[in-house]
Amino acid sequence: MPVAVGPYGQSQPSCFDRVKMGFMMGFAVGMAAGALFGTFSCLRFGMRGRELMGGVGKTMMQSGGTFGTFMAIGMGIRC
Amino acid sequence: MEEYTREPCPWRIVDDCGGAFTMGMIGGGIFQAIKGFRNSPQGLKHRFKGSLISIRTRAPQLGGSFAVWGGLFSMIDCSMVKMRGKEDPWNSITSGALTGAILAARNGAVAMVGSAAMGGILLALIEGAGICITRFASSQFTNVAPIPEDGSQMPPGSPFGGYQQYQ
Repeated sequence: MPVAVGPYGQSQPSCFDRVKMGFMMGFAVGMAAGALFGTFSCLRFGMRGRELMGGVGKTMMQSGGTFGTFMAIGMGIRC
Repeated sequence: MEEYTREPCPWRIVDDCGGAFTMGMIGGGIFQAIKGFRNSPQGLKHRFKGSLISIRTRAPQLGGSFAVWGGLFSMIDCSMVKMRGKEDPWNSITSGALTGAILAARNGAVAMVGSAAMGGILLALIEGAGICITRFASSQFTNVAPIPEDGSQMPPGSPFGGYQQYQ
């Protein structure tokens, strides 16, 4: 990744840092995607009100975790 | 993932395909290990055996479907780079949507539209996150005081008498 190499010879981020960043990024993307798709599928499922909130939150966490894991692996195999 | 360290175009297809296969294989291995462990009958031996069986059957499948997605995605991406003559996030978003549409083509038009929307939205989110990270990194970069290129451009009244401390 084209990290900004500073003038003082700032080193590349370490492997673990990149994996962590990949996980964070994947988690954020997964949360957003889970919010979108989870809302649709929960509404179609017939959830309303409080139940809907819980369902969407669960989907968000699930897809965030899945995405984050895959993104972390994707970062990990490239360093 | 794809937005960093991109290969030049024709080889990017192979790179993405293999990378996606590995990613799906490892990730599928992790998830299927847990799933097989939990779905097996009681007893530690059964559970480990179940998780092994589940990894062996399911992880390559997931890797294969990831590889198909990645390969088709970067094929369309490369075609669009060639056709439009530029590389920007719209390329990836469009190719994500097209990939989703093509892979769902056998399920009918409605499924194609749904899958295309899903692919496009996902790729848009990923590209957006990539842009955010790049911007964040560059904002961190500008906080570092720029090193003077030339001694003659230094301010004359330097407190260290011309010897600037570089840390």
